[in-house]
Amino acid sequence: MYDADVIVIGSGGGGAVAAKELGEAGLKVLVLEAGPFYGNKKWENPNSERGGEWSSSYDDLDVGIYKKIYTRYENNMNDVVSGTFRFGPADRRRTPWHRVMRQKGDIWQLAGVGGTTQHYWSQSPRAFPSAVDGVWPISYEELVPYYEKAEATLPVQFSPTAPKEELFYFAVQKAGWQKNPTLNVTKPGYRPNPNAILPPNPHLMDPKYPIDQLWNMDGCTMQGHCVNGCTAGSRVDTIAKRGTLVSYVPLALKTGNVAIRPNSFTIRILTEHDPKEGLRAAGVRFRDTWTGEIGELTAKAVVVAAGCIETPRLWFNSDLPFNSWVGRGLTNHCFDWVGGVFDEKDLMGIMGLPAVYPYMGHTSGARVDIPGIGIFQVSCLSPGLMAFLTYGFSEAGFDALKPPEPGAPWNIHGRVVGPALKELMMNYNRTMTYLLLTDDETLYRNRVEVDPILKDENGPIPVVHYVPSKKTLQRRDQLVKYSCESLKAAGAKAIIRSDTPFAFMLHLESTMRMGYVVDTNCEAYQVKRLFLADNSVHFNGIGGPNPTLTTQALATRTSEKLAQKYFA
Amino acid sequence: MMQTPELYASRADPHTVATFRALVDAIVPYTPELAAYGAEQPIGAVQQHVHEYMIWSLDHTLTLVLDYYPEIVPLAAPTAGLLNAGAAQLVASGQAKYAAQGAIAGSPVPFAALSPADRIRTMAILEKLQIDLGLLPPPYRDDGGLVKFIIDYLNRGTMFGNYSEWPGYGTTRLNTPTRRRLEFFPIGWRQTGYPGVSKGYRAVRGILMTIVREGGKSTIV
Repeated sequence: MYDADVIVIGSGGGGAVAAKELGEAGLKVLVLEAGPFYGNKKWENPNSERGGEWSSSYDDLDVGIYKKIYTRYENNMNDVVSGTFRFGPADRRRTPWHRVMRQKGDIWQLAGVGGTTQHYWSQSPRAFPSAVDGVWPISYEELVPYYEKAEATLPVQFSPTAPKEELFYFAVQKAGWQKNPTLNVTKPGYRPNPNAILPPNPHLMDPKYPIDQLWNMDGCTMQGHCVNGCTAGSRVDTIAKRGTLVSYVPLALKTGNVAIRPNSFTIRILTEHDPKEGLRAAGVRFRDTWTGEIGELTAKAVVVAAGCIETPRLWFNSDLPFNSWVGRGLTNHCFDWVGGVFDEKDLMGIMGLPAVYPYMGHTSGARVDIPGIGIFQVSCLSPGLMAFLTYGFSEAGFDALKPPEPGAPWNIHGRVVGPALKELMMNYNRTMTYLLLTDDETLYRNRVEVDPILKDENGPIPVVHYVPSKKTLQRRDQLVKYSCESLKAAGAKAIIRSDTPFAFMLHLESTMRMGYVVDTNCEAYQVKRLFLADNSVHFNGIGGPNPTLTTQALATRTSEKLAQKYFA
Repeated sequence: MMQTPELYASRADPHTVATFRALVDAIVPYTPELAAYGAEQPIGAVQQHVHEYMIWSLDHTLTLVLDYYPEIVPLAAPTAGLLNAGAAQLVASGQAKYAAQGAIAGSPVPFAALSPADRIRTMAILEKLQIDLGLLPPPYRDDGGLVKFIIDYLNRGTMFGNYSEWPGYGTTRLNTPTRRRLEFFPIGWRQTGYPGVSKGYRAVRGILMTIVREGGKSTIV
């Protein structure tokens, strides 16, 4: 007898989708999640008390608990060491779980039900078709129905225009970009972001409705700081920003077939030898992060959705068969970050407003897509995050210690410190910033492996190594040039290129590539009944678009294939 | 694990504290000349205790199984040692612009004895690995990748500490995170004109395009 039909490891962008889809197919599903479950009656104080073990009922969800924990304060929420959002155990007295990275950078991944989608900005574009067709083992056309399903389920909608988007549209039109009203991007142009955020509350602009009341109704309130956790909504499953904690997880629980166990770090995939199938997955071993107790569960199939670092780590630590591509081919969109500081009178002339208001509306609401090169998207953050991303985080070192590059389209390149930093931060409210996402070439050398010596309580720890190719860096420079041109066209008085460290890991993809480690159903070639459902199965970086929607489309498809193959 | 700022600070080594004060002061200094823009503008990272944020963070960031069980590996003191080793090498190589050799010699915290510009220069030679890696304290000794990582972190960590709400936690700032309480509106937020967290803004200026779904297909209007 098995404990379940399917065990899903991880409840983030992909795992939660698999749980919902498999539960709807009538299968009994157990989900193991390493981090806490926020907004659930079984864990009223999830960061300081052990609470319950399992949640299997939609009625366990509690928006009061959710809103108490999601304070929206940037340090409390997003401090990578001690924040509510971090890759670490629920108990915030303890340290985060470590990854070795011997280069500049940082890894933004979260443990917890909803995973990294708790703080993602919810950009949900499809892949560029040109990065899939003739490149992936499956076609773009094959993905489209699953994109449609995931988009309708989340749901995905184009962003409304806040002041910063209005300024962005002005800037990119001035720079000559054309409007591109599509979900299937085959030519360059600008458009609002397709975001997994509910449309604005229809009463938002009506002063008869107090903001306090609107905050407890359904629909986006343009409260800003999507990155620090969205809190607009009347119930957990109607929170405006559709991370999987508030979208796919409630739907999974509603099936009555899914139970979720947070605070449970999976440390090994259990296998058995079947005379007909050969090596196959049969269950998992996990560690309770509060008690340290080890548990085991068995199932007829296992879905791993632990993320691009933990999925290969789990493969290595489970002693699964050697495959030279496990952990290899890591892509990350080799980001850059560019900002422009505007004068009040110019902003008045463009928008009739004295500021950019970087804290209003979606964290990111509009983009320019350039297939073959990448994307730049207007992206504005609360001041602590903005300060470090714009002025404190750089591959280029300190701006003041280098002579200016002749003819460079920026005024500042690299970190700014001292009085100059304080003067720039006084202009926070009149600064518009962009995130640049590069079409990143897939290289064997970029990888996740496990340290030969260092271990934590969950086993040998991951080592992440990422150095972009020359071609990737050329594309990134091209995106910087386009970004600076648009800021200059709009009248920016100072332009800053932060030159973000290559290993700022936001969009990790392709460490367990389809066609190398898994087949076109996302089942491991070497271990039957073991399916993967996170960014790791992507064949490449999908051309630059934000990866979550593609993972969600694939997880939908993988669940269908799994159910057909083993449970028909 | 109840922890008061006094208790935590009393355990911190004074050389480490002096080094981190010098670090955050070089990145976000006290600037009396900015008083014309508002009474809050001169305040810098030292006045906001951001050096304590950095020390706390580095001492609560790493757990490894070194012998038989997981142990916290504190990194603040070795990181202060890294900055001081870098400062000594900057001076010894004649690259310091303002410090006299004599002022540094024998100081237990040479990094803090340097001018702010030379402290930044120290970080620059460290992150470019223009130093003798063999003279650095563990875990940085002969590990250039780790040196690059941490120097970058020292910069962005200081900025995040200074311009986030952390200083507003006041007397609870070094408590375990779930026991911190905001005691006043953060000064970094006042300096930037950020109004604080919000439940909503009446900020819809228009809708450029909309996805319409019918029969499993999407069209754009």
